[in-house]
Amino acid sequence: MSVVFGNTEYCPHFFVTLVQVTFSFFDMQMEEHNSTHLQISSGIDMTDFSEELVRPTTEDEQGEPSVRSGSGMCFPWLQNHIESIASGGKQEKDFAQTTSACLSFIQEALLKHQWQRAAEYMHSFLQILEDTDSNKRQGAPEIIWRLGSEILYYHPKSSVETFNTFADRMKNIGITNYLKISLQHALYLLHHGLLEDANRILTQAETWRYGEKSSSQEVLVNLIQAYKGLLQYYSWSKKKMELSQLDKDDYAYNTASQNMLNHSWKTSVNLCTLIQIPGVWDPFVKSYVEMLEFYGDRDGAREVLNNYAYDEKFPSNPNAHVYLYNFLKREKAPREKLISVLKILYQIVPSHKLMLEFHRLLRKSDKQEHHKLGLEVLFGILDFAGCTKNITAWKYLAKYLKQTLMGSHLAWVQEEWNSRKSWWPSFHFSHFWAKRNWKDDKTLACEKALVAGLLLGKGCKYFRYVSKQDHQVLKKKMKQMKKSVKKYSIVNSGL
Amino acid sequence: MPVPINICFCPPQCTDEPHFLIQTPAVLAVEGKRTFLGRLFPGGSNVVYDSRERPLIPGRGLVAFLRHQQKSQEGCPWAYLSQRQRRFSILGAPILSTSVASLLGELLHEELALRWERLLLDDVCTGGALAWVPGRTPGAGQLVYPVGSTMDTLCFQKVSLTPETEPQVLRDPGRIQLRGPVRQVVTRSVQGEALLAVRSDHHCALWKVSTQGQPAPLQVVQVDKGATGISLSPHLPGEMVICSRSGAVCLWSTEDGLRQIYKDPETLVFRDPSPWRWADFTAHPRVLTVGDRTGVKMVDTQGPPGCGLLLFRGGAEASCQKGERVLLTQHLGDLGPESLHPMLHLVCTQFSVYLVDERLPLVPLFKWNHGLRSAPLLAQLLPPPRPGLPQPLLLAGQGGELQLLHLEGAGASMPRLAGLPQSLPTRSDSLSAFPLLEPKSHRRLQERLKAPTIGLAAVIPPPASTPVLSLFQLSAAGDVFYQRLHLQTDPGPNAHAPAASWTPQATACCSWWLEALLAVPLAPPVWAAPTFSHRRLLGGFEPQKMEGPVPEGLRRAMAQGRLLQQRDLGLLPPEERPPAPEPGPEDELSERLEAAWEFGAAAWWERRRGGRAGPGKQPKRQKRRTQLSSTFSSLSGRVDLSDAASPPPSPDRTVPEARPQPPRTPPSQELTQEPWAQGVPSERQQTLRDYMAELPLHADTPGGASTLSSQTPSVRATPSGQHAPQDGTFQQLPRGDTPEGATLPSSQTPSVRATPSRQHTPRDGMVQQLPRGDTPEGATPPSSQTPSILATRSGSQRLRKKPRMGF
Repeated sequence: MSVVFGNTEYCPHFFVTLVQVTFSFFDMQMEEHNSTHLQISSGIDMTDFSEELVRPTTEDEQGEPSVRSGSGMCFPWLQNHIESIASGGKQEKDFAQTTSACLSFIQEALLKHQWQRAAEYMHSFLQILEDTDSNKRQGAPEIIWRLGSEILYYHPKSSVETFNTFADRMKNIGITNYLKISLQHALYLLHHGLLEDANRILTQAETWRYGEKSSSQEVLVNLIQAYKGLLQYYSWSKKKMELSQLDKDDYAYNTASQNMLNHSWKTSVNLCTLIQIPGVWDPFVKSYVEMLEFYGDRDGAREVLNNYAYDEKFPSNPNAHVYLYNFLKREKAPREKLISVLKILYQIVPSHKLMLEFHRLLRKSDKQEHHKLGLEVLFGILDFAGCTKNITAWKYLAKYLKQTLMGSHLAWVQEEWNSRKSWWPSFHFSHFWAKRNWKDDKTLACEKALVAGLLLGKGCKYFRYVSKQDHQVLKKKMKQMKKSVKKYSIVNSGL
Repeated sequence: MPVPINICFCPPQCTDEPHFLIQTPAVLAVEGKRTFLGRLFPGGSNVVYDSRERPLIPGRGLVAFLRHQQKSQEGCPWAYLSQRQRRFSILGAPILSTSVASLLGELLHEELALRWERLLLDDVCTGGALAWVPGRTPGAGQLVYPVGSTMDTLCFQKVSLTPETEPQVLRDPGRIQLRGPVRQVVTRSVQGEALLAVRSDHHCALWKVSTQGQPAPLQVVQVDKGATGISLSPHLPGEMVICSRSGAVCLWSTEDGLRQIYKDPETLVFRDPSPWRWADFTAHPRVLTVGDRTGVKMVDTQGPPGCGLLLFRGGAEASCQKGERVLLTQHLGDLGPESLHPMLHLVCTQFSVYLVDERLPLVPLFKWNHGLRSAPLLAQLLPPPRPGLPQPLLLAGQGGELQLLHLEGAGASMPRLAGLPQSLPTRSDSLSAFPLLEPKSHRRLQERLKAPTIGLAAVIPPPASTPVLSLFQLSAAGDVFYQRLHLQTDPGPNAHAPAASWTPQATACCSWWLEALLAVPLAPPVWAAPTFSHRRLLGGFEPQKMEGPVPEGLRRAMAQGRLLQQRDLGLLPPEERPPAPEPGPEDELSERLEAAWEFGAAAWWERRRGGRAGPGKQPKRQKRRTQLSSTFSSLSGRVDLSDAASPPPSPDRTVPEARPQPPRTPPSQELTQEPWAQGVPSERQQTLRDYMAELPLHADTPGGASTLSSQTPSVRATPSGQHAPQDGTFQQLPRGDTPEGATLPSSQTPSVRATPSRQHTPRDGMVQQLPRGDTPEGATPPSSQTPSILATRSGSQRLRKKPRMGF
């Protein structure tokens, strides 16, 4: 067996910093709000747009035979082989052959970022609209739309006008795709900063009806309305900013506030239908709540948020609890209430950055069990790999651990420590980390050393390493640390 | 008496893994035995015989057997068992025939099912068998991958990477011989300690690699049911998770040993028969993901067994397609400060790639339809090449396709694709860069390059002016391929990627590799049916004398090693032979090409046109037609034209004479051929007749009377197709389409010669056998052109025979 080291000097458009249409709007929202930890957009609309941008509809949808093993697994790459066997070696019609070859050429060109070539092939691919096979003919507009919009999105010579023309034509070719195409068209325009045009497209689509109202159509209509609402929210929040800059005595103030009132009414209608449907609707819920709050409808906002966080039908979403907590905090709700909200968040995401706030709340509480939970929360945060260098968490833990041990709640500490003593020493308190932490962040090393000493005794590697280091500034702290370890370490007391 | 079935009792798994067979030592052993026994039995005949004069100790037989054995060594290595088995089967045939057959049938069925599954999806190398172990300096490191024909030697190849130059491959790689084929190689650096885990079919092993690059073994675990996946903990050194086919997932650490944390023989979401299981770590060191074909679950190793939260479900939440199954799951862990959130997981199916967040289970953050033409069993996420840039995620299909996705969204923001994913040049794409080769070598090279990808490793060497992505691939043929991608941060509107190219050094390396590849002789087929000598077989047991020509003929044919023919058996008169199968649909194109090759396209077309006029005529009918035509010809009064003593042939007339006669034409009919008539245009025939009428001929010819009587049918319809001998099977042959008599006279071109070759082409093997044996040599026309024509004919026969082999 031999080794080949061929050096393929290939210079692809390696990291193109273009944003896909689908997510662009969420970003805008996020920047605007400078918002929270986890931003997750709707499950439904994401799967609608991010999937299969360069793929035709699935084989199953087209009712073609598919390759399945005994387990029912499907093998798309064996599809052609099996089809030719199933048809007794008969080849597809010439027309079908050329179109499928053309399709694969387009896909290949797209994946190689050869937009020009893809566009040339696309020109020929349009003949699929004349396919005699009605199945294929019906699926064709969607394929053409997906490929075409992708090409026009990236093609260096394409412009908004070209895209508009293409989208308008496609809307009328595949009637069933009208809503989807409209929505994607609007998102494209949004990405190019053309809010007015996007709003116009969404308004057109909103009133469009075809045949009987199917459930999929309904969801799409709701989504379109919600996006329209989001656009209105955007202009509303811009106006709000302007308003805050205006003087109250200014004559323009009245008209501006009147405008905002009108907007709000329209937007709430647009947004509230969508967020009743189970799903992940973070940006929509947030903007809706903000507007409700602005006009003083606190009960309405609370209801929306409660529904979003606690409805069983909605998927478990940590952001829903974050929004509710932030709302309650603004409302200056009692501590008990805040704790109960964060308790649920703690169960979903123990590593959330709000957990430090949760700990503070628990610490301030009068209840014993809250104090105990406060310790648990700190241990919980530090379990996660991403939080190992969180100095605040270590500081809190060192302080609270000492406090707990001083308050003779050794059992609490031992309860927490029992499940961790098998892996925390090698996870946090190894010699490697002692060296590394000391080198990178001496304060962190000191905090950790104190915790290590308290939990593992003064013989532990981490504590020994840090305590042996000589540092002028930290001298006093070190001395204190050694003293507390000697006094409170659970290893000593256990013996 | 039934002939014993000589089944070579290979254990099924042996044929399954052909490269397991160690052939040379067996040959050597036999060689040694033979010389040894040869001394003992110099003549091979001084053996004790039993009362029935059969060798008690098979001295001669043994030696002969061993000699034979050597021959069959190239075939099945278990063939040496055959002697004993043969006897066993003779003895036990009446009792065992049914049970053995059913048992074997079951095994065969199982084996076939297994092979079919593997043919559809070979998931044994999921995760990849190529890994990069970083060394002391940033650019240096080791590639670890299996080598050897059975992939059972672990090779540690030191490589030093620099962004500007070619990678430096250091000589003398380290090797570790293992006891099974390596399926997966995983490396991780935890707390400055590089660990290396290897999965074989039934063993998993862990090494610690020192900073100098020396591997030190830590432990080996045996997995009875077979391991399907391993992964190393990114959090704790020396912790590994192993999945077994039984559905168990075990956590194994060097301190605590093996601990089963999850066991469920059933799949997670719905029932799927696949025993494939996969496990990986999460952001929490005590929580693992356990995956199978239907979904992925998060399992807390400290919690009560069996509990957990579904992270991914193959179903409506992810809008999965029908028949979509999970092929790979991977924790996209922490890769530095600017990287994605460490709670993300990648899920690959045969259609799409999903990104799932631990904090928001069941709702994928995004889905991308990769459209790969093979199973994506390898994936690797890399740190951002430069702060602020998206992270490259490599996805490799088994067939060699590579896709590069750019993931954006560091920290708290939402992960998303930055730009459209890219397909990278595959190994097959580099075929054009190799020098021009002769077709056979070209095909070999192509096959070699097409071997499935079983390993992927990507490294971004230390920062330079432009970051470079070094990509290594391991193919199933054992080659490691290297590819380098340069970062192009700002592609202009018309910027085109420069075509993939090779540096001179790479070209030299490849030509060296190619030379080495082509120098290797083609391996013989790994397994061929054992070639037992039937002579020995038949001589071994003395059958009771069988009367009748059938067994006699059978034995004779077997002894001569030829095909058994009807006449060997002498059972049925040739007339009653079953009709040969109907000739299949005609292959017009190849016929036409054939004709064109012989410069007879025009004739072919004529015939074809005629054929259209009256298609689908059966030979019987043709005979009738000949009779009819002869009746007509008699009415037209041309019968007497034919005569044995024809006028001296003009140069023109020699041509039809030279026209090849089918070799099987009986001599009697040869006489009836009055070839001159064929070449003469009809308007001239009258003149000729008049001319001939002047000559006193009839009296001189001895066979005149007889010829006259038999001539009649052949005058007009002379096409060679109608020279059909009385042989019943042969009657099937002529396609019986055209009134060719009309066309032939005009076409004296060489194409005429080609005609018979087509006309007489037998349609199946059985017919073909007959003329060869039957035809006496003398029957072939003594024309000088014959040999070449015969060659054509046999050539065309060969061509035609192939597709019909199935019958």
